[in-house]
Amino acid sequence: MKAPNTPPRIRIAAAGKRYQQHQIFENVDLTVGEREVVAIIGPSGCGKTTLLRCIDGLIPLTQGEILIEGSPMLAPRAGVAMVFQHFGLFPWKTVHDNVAYGLKLSGISKAEINERVPHFVKLVGLSGFEKYYPYQISGGMQQRCGLARALATEPRVLLMDEPFGAVDAQTREILQFELLRIWEDTPTTMVFVTHSIEEAVLMGDRIVVLKGRPSSVHEVVEVDLPRPRDRATLLLPHFAELREHVWGTLMADARQAEFDVIKNN
Amino acid sequence: MSGSAVLDADGPRGYALLNHPLFLKATAGLVLLCLWEGVVRWLAPPYVARPSGIAQVILGVLGNAEFLSAAGATLSAVALGLFISLITGTLIGFLMGRIMLLEQGLRYYVNSLFATPMVAIMPLLTLWFGYNTDARLAAVVFAGFFSVTVNACEGARSAPLECLEVAHSFRARPWSTLFDVIFPSSLPYLIAGVRLAAGRARVAAVVAEFFISIPGLGYYILYNSRTFHHNEAFVAVIVLVAAGVGFEAFTRWLTRRYFPWHRPR
Repeated sequence: MKAPNTPPRIRIAAAGKRYQQHQIFENVDLTVGEREVVAIIGPSGCGKTTLLRCIDGLIPLTQGEILIEGSPMLAPRAGVAMVFQHFGLFPWKTVHDNVAYGLKLSGISKAEINERVPHFVKLVGLSGFEKYYPYQISGGMQQRCGLARALATEPRVLLMDEPFGAVDAQTREILQFELLRIWEDTPTTMVFVTHSIEEAVLMGDRIVVLKGRPSSVHEVVEVDLPRPRDRATLLLPHFAELREHVWGTLMADARQAEFDVIKNN
Repeated sequence: MSGSAVLDADGPRGYALLNHPLFLKATAGLVLLCLWEGVVRWLAPPYVARPSGIAQVILGVLGNAEFLSAAGATLSAVALGLFISLITGTLIGFLMGRIMLLEQGLRYYVNSLFATPMVAIMPLLTLWFGYNTDARLAAVVFAGFFSVTVNACEGARSAPLECLEVAHSFRARPWSTLFDVIFPSSLPYLIAGVRLAAGRARVAAVVAEFFISIPGLGYYILYNSRTFHHNEAFVAVIVLVAAGVGFEAFTRWLTRRYFPWHRPR
């Protein structure tokens, strides 16, 4: 379902990140096309979140470069938005004000913000909760709000950092299908970091498996499942095949990797 | 808690009144007043303050123009001093909290001055400012400023990293981060600082009046104590207590009304 003949929106070339003596990842090469969803998966501590932060420009690379729409990501930029595992909602702002935050910073007039926010609040299913504070709504609703905040800036690149990692299993499933529905309405470039194999297969057009110490791209799995995807996708035999394949790649030396993480920390 | 709840549920109906919090408070107050009255009547000379004596003079004192202007002088000096402390203390505390060099340079001095008993430097203040209302204001500011500064600094330093990361990701300028993240997240600290400062400021104003003999509640207490009008002196004490309790209630109302996200139930 990838649009052919479009230049890649994200190009990552020989990227590496080192903290003092500790090389997190190295030699990461990856291109992500317009309207493509790339899921990044790997054992915990392999640096997938660090890579995503580098893509957002929150932290600098130590080797290589990341280009978005042709220019290097040295700092956060308009058109790129991130959804955080920890939600990152401001406790002192209402749902409406949290969703409006990105718009406010981009200098849009208050009247226009008030016109646009309700659309995104509705898109994530939070209508009626505009005046609630984060502590008054559930974790799943909080992440809906975090998603709306990112979507409201109408990003050309959407970065998802284990967005459903902090919500319970049932909420997680609901949010996955909601995200698929929203993406179908406005398909955009998405990089989706997750530690759930099913989620990676369900979301991604490709799955990038990060592995090793320091980690690098171990394998790229093409996910040729039809879109739009929904609950029925989970029942396809090919879904199970892909899931098993990724499982095999990921878990081959998972036990050793886990020991390494503990030793290295 | 649970123990008394069980007693409430199982106890006979007649004990409901006994368990009512208001009833207990009123009874305890009455018992204490009776003890005070009894002990003073039994052991003390007639000019010593006692509840019945205070009750006789309280309305007269509260309607007395001289007393009212004394109360006005002290409480307005406290209010003005607190206001100055709040503004300057917040500003300097925030700068210290966010600029590492400033914090490292000033920390020891601010903490030492915070720990300096205001009473100890009162004679010096009278030398620097003269025997006038300026010295009283200086004492109030000295007592309040460092409480606010120390707390504002702590508040600014403890701004949640998640929120700062979100601000960074959405390309917030330092100025907007100050108002969107640092200021609201340190409000609880600021409120704690101001409450602490309010107590210290009242002590400072009264002690300053003892030293300097300028019109005010402190001087009113000193003068009436020395001329054997203990009941009148006690009315001034009650006014000071009421001002403190009133301020506490005000900050609690303010917090609930305007910062509901802080310590939500």
